[in-house]
Amino acid sequence: MIIGITIITVSILVNQITKETFSKNNPGLDAVVGAKGSPLQLILSSIHHIDIPTGNISYQNAKKIIKHPAIKSAIPISLGDNFQNFRIVGTNKNFLKLYKANLNSGTEWSKPMQAVIGHNVSKVTNLNINKFFVGSHGLIDTGDVHAEQPYKVVGVLNKTGTILDNLILTSLDSVWNLHSDVNKGKLEITSLLLKYKNKTSAFSFPRLINKGTNMQAASPSFEISKLLKLTSNAHKIIDYLSVLIILLSLVGVFFTLLNNINERRYDLAILRTLGFSRLKLFSIILSEGMIISIVGSTLGLIFGYLIYESMHYFSIVGRSIELGQLNFLNDLFLIWITVNIIAFITCLVPCIKVYKQNIRTTLLNS
Amino acid sequence: MLKCENISFDIDGHNLFSNINLNLKNQKDLLITGPSGIGKTTLLSILCGLQKPTSGSIIYNDIDLYNLAENEVDNFRGNNLGVVFQNFNLINSFTVKQNLEIASNAIGTKSSDQYFNLLDRVGLADKSHIKVANLSIGEKQRLAVARAFVGEPQWIFCDEPTSSLDDKNANIIANLIKEESSRCKASLILITHDSRIQTLINFSKILRLGEEL
Repeated sequence: MIIGITIITVSILVNQITKETFSKNNPGLDAVVGAKGSPLQLILSSIHHIDIPTGNISYQNAKKIIKHPAIKSAIPISLGDNFQNFRIVGTNKNFLKLYKANLNSGTEWSKPMQAVIGHNVSKVTNLNINKFFVGSHGLIDTGDVHAEQPYKVVGVLNKTGTILDNLILTSLDSVWNLHSDVNKGKLEITSLLLKYKNKTSAFSFPRLINKGTNMQAASPSFEISKLLKLTSNAHKIIDYLSVLIILLSLVGVFFTLLNNINERRYDLAILRTLGFSRLKLFSIILSEGMIISIVGSTLGLIFGYLIYESMHYFSIVGRSIELGQLNFLNDLFLIWITVNIIAFITCLVPCIKVYKQNIRTTLLNS
Repeated sequence: MLKCENISFDIDGHNLFSNINLNLKNQKDLLITGPSGIGKTTLLSILCGLQKPTSGSIIYNDIDLYNLAENEVDNFRGNNLGVVFQNFNLINSFTVKQNLEIASNAIGTKSSDQYFNLLDRVGLADKSHIKVANLSIGEKQRLAVARAFVGEPQWIFCDEPTSSLDDKNANIIANLIKEESSRCKASLILITHDSRIQTLINFSKILRLGEEL
């Protein structure tokens, strides 16, 4: 029972938190334009900072998109480096406005190689105002660092509960400075985060980009809903498996109680002769079964939550997706109460057997 | 007062006994005797509320036992009757003390002094933590007696308490039962076919099953 409840608890927590996190991380963006490749990969890498980017696009081409009459706002981002696995994002100051981020201390960047860091970055790395750090090549910490050009922290952001907490923000120039030898003066960015002036552009604009350029435009809501549909099927399979484990454990409780009662029927009959009423024995046996069920299901919830908490901890340190806060106690309570109601019904059968026991016959047969 | 009116009991269509009537005043002792198989133990079960008679009524101080609901019969037994069964009916996996504690729990009283005094009187004070399974027959008999007196019941029923014991032990057990029932001011109803018992306890009434009453 503990295993079943643990699995279903983790499944529910992860499922709900994933949905919540994906929703929180997207501050109303309509599209992301980037290099051709998997649209889902483009969304995950540019908004949720999970996957690797599909490639780079020319900044010159990006500027044409920024000026397109259908576009209300466009924020360029450029990825490439990290500090202790926290991604360094080259962008402009509109990125902060997009997430309605406020500075906890310091200021925004005003020149290259200055950085504003998210809440979790500061917490985990102990970076603070006026401290310096050097970025590592790539999006995972490999130790291959840009030692010659360190960043200076000029600002620390308040907690937003979004992916911003796990990012290091700097100007596009900073990223271009570090990678100028690679780009040979040809400026590139990873992607553009777009909002349309009119929602009807959601149909025409991606077609324009996808067919008319060597770039692609992907819709965050469409791609994420496709992903969630896929993962929800996996969650369903895990949930069915958990339900099966829970049911098997309840059958186990049932037969354990029944077996105990058969073994102890003589002792139970003795208790009746001493003055224990049938009702009292009924409640004792029921309590035994319910204690197993309540302790098992509660431990399952606790273990599930601990596993979730471990995942939460590792997500801050090593991964970009933050699992958010526990605010779906209703679902877990519903499972807990359902399991215990089923356990209660299951326990009634052996209890009724005890209730109907004929003391004299039992004592004589023993 | 224990009053039995026209108690009859049939088993598998066969009449085991019929029309048993008796009146036993409080603190008076009754011996029920008769040959084996005559229904002495069945009568004890009926008197204790463990077996409903085919007809008739058992009245304890104006309470008609079989007019009570089954849960109330259990409660009445626990609070007012003490029973020493022929095969003791002790819980073998429990210790000596635990057997007394569980009897005490049944009626909702708890007193470790009482357990100690009881065990002391039956000579088992130094064996309170030994499991019943490891006791001798004589010790089990003494424990069964001690358990019957937990809660100081008004009526004590003993089923063949001495029949499997030698003269010395039979004497000890009979004296113990008599002393404890006097101390509790309880009526003793003793069932036996052991003829030695009448020389050990002075009964105010004798009911001979299978003979003319």
